[in-house]
Amino acid sequence: MIDRDALRDFYDDYYTALDDGRFEEWPAFFMEDCLYRVIPRENYEAGYALSTMYGESRGMLIDRVMGMTRTQMFAPRYYRRFPGPIRFVSREGDSVRVRQNLLVVQTLIDRKTEIVLSAVCHDVLVSDSGQPRLRERIVVFDSEMIPNSFIYPA
Amino acid sequence: MNSINRTWPADTMGRVPYWVYSDPDIYAAEMERVWYGPHWLYCGLEAEIPNVGDFKTTTIGERPVIMTRGGPDEINVVENRCAHRGVKFCQVRKGNAKELLCPYHQWNYSLRGDLQGAAFRRGVRGQGGMPADFDPRDHGLRKLRVAAVNGVVWATFSNDTPGFREYLGERFWRHYTRVYDGRKLEILGYNRQHIKGNWKLMQENIKDPYHASLLHVFFVTFGLFRADQKSATEVDQTGRHGILISRRGQQEVNDVTSTMRTFRGDIKLADPRILDAVKEYPDEDAIQIMTVFPSVVLQSNLNSMSTRHIVPTGPDGFDFHWTHWGYAGDTPEMRQRRLRQSNLFGPAGLVSADDGEAIEMCQQGFAHSTDQAALVVMGGRETESVEHMVTEVAIRGMYRYWRETMGL
Repeated sequence: MIDRDALRDFYDDYYTALDDGRFEEWPAFFMEDCLYRVIPRENYEAGYALSTMYGESRGMLIDRVMGMTRTQMFAPRYYRRFPGPIRFVSREGDSVRVRQNLLVVQTLIDRKTEIVLSAVCHDVLVSDSGQPRLRERIVVFDSEMIPNSFIYPA
Repeated sequence: MNSINRTWPADTMGRVPYWVYSDPDIYAAEMERVWYGPHWLYCGLEAEIPNVGDFKTTTIGERPVIMTRGGPDEINVVENRCAHRGVKFCQVRKGNAKELLCPYHQWNYSLRGDLQGAAFRRGVRGQGGMPADFDPRDHGLRKLRVAAVNGVVWATFSNDTPGFREYLGERFWRHYTRVYDGRKLEILGYNRQHIKGNWKLMQENIKDPYHASLLHVFFVTFGLFRADQKSATEVDQTGRHGILISRRGQQEVNDVTSTMRTFRGDIKLADPRILDAVKEYPDEDAIQIMTVFPSVVLQSNLNSMSTRHIVPTGPDGFDFHWTHWGYAGDTPEMRQRRLRQSNLFGPAGLVSADDGEAIEMCQQGFAHSTDQAALVVMGGRETESVEHMVTEVAIRGMYRYWRETMGL
């Protein structure tokens, strides 16, 4: 049973790990068998499956972290994530479906801070040996014109 | 026509002066001579407007347009600018309509752009109204010439543009019809990004296999695009279009990869399905990526298909619209494969994010050094197609054509 306190703790840990750049910890917030999508709102609403960032297993998220830390080339930047309040949508057995707004901003050297994503997250969490984990996270962003690149996960 | 007060460097083929990327007069002249000149510009895919009455708005050059389906076999492209007061009257991305209506004064047009009615044309209770010489036939939306070719919609502002096949040339027509072979396409979705660099840098990026075989660690490491593989860099007869072709290799240490500081022999994928490509064309090529000058990149990389539409927004920036697609007859497995591989491309692409970043870094580096010039002599100073990727031949080809077009 995932209660509100457990959810709050989960998301506090999730966003702190990402904001602090501890990306190697990120895949463990997900179940081994999971779905992660960061998708433009127009695709989501039209029923188009194309996602800007996509993973269908914890392994793919591990590969995403490997890609962004070892293979991608980009100007250095900080991302900071501003989640809104968590709203319970439904509960089914051991899983809970929640949604929350999310603003992701980036700061590059000598530049003004700018918005990377203005989004709503549709998440499904399950209890995995007493520990909440994401079985599904769909980040639907309104801000479809991305300022150049989208590097770190939301 | 703007006059250009610039002189090309003495090393005609080996140098590209930095003012081509930042001079506002050059940019203004490009709009007239390149974008609104005798060139076919990418508008969209027929699959985006499958039903009669469907429309899609887009921008070609800097001008907003609407692509409409007026009939089962009729596609129109008209300017999204009311003939009355110039309103960009259609503000949604897509829709279905019987007519095009400007909300400001309720002028309405057919899907072909003909003016059908102007509110109060005959006045109200005998007052006002349009003058007697007002003829609706003189006040339609501006109509562009359209070519719908195997699922892709092209438009041109110029009457001098040759037929689309001739525009590509026979060699590039063959490359084009390898992928756009007449089968119906299915839209998988969009990605959009704004890149703070001159639009030509995007063309150059896809004409530059030299960078692709070094910068893109993901490609290099997994043998998708690397200098030791069988490959080709082709340029059309005019120089304006280019294509990079590569066959897949292995993740192996050899005489070439051992010299590349971006080759990572130790990387293993936790879930290798992202590279689970299957052969789907008669040839053995893993990557064919083609630039159709000036407006689009046509991607056929592994099984990931996309059009990448360039929309210039000034000398120092462009919007980049990606439309990912599959064939309408794809199996669910094939569709899933294309979606998975799209992780490599787009603004978050494990490969393509590198390009947007590199382009912005180029613009930052040279924008304020217009007396200097880039060096593009890798592989010599020629502009003929070659059977390898250690070359800047396609960039030289584009500037040979660009200079002719710009009168420089």
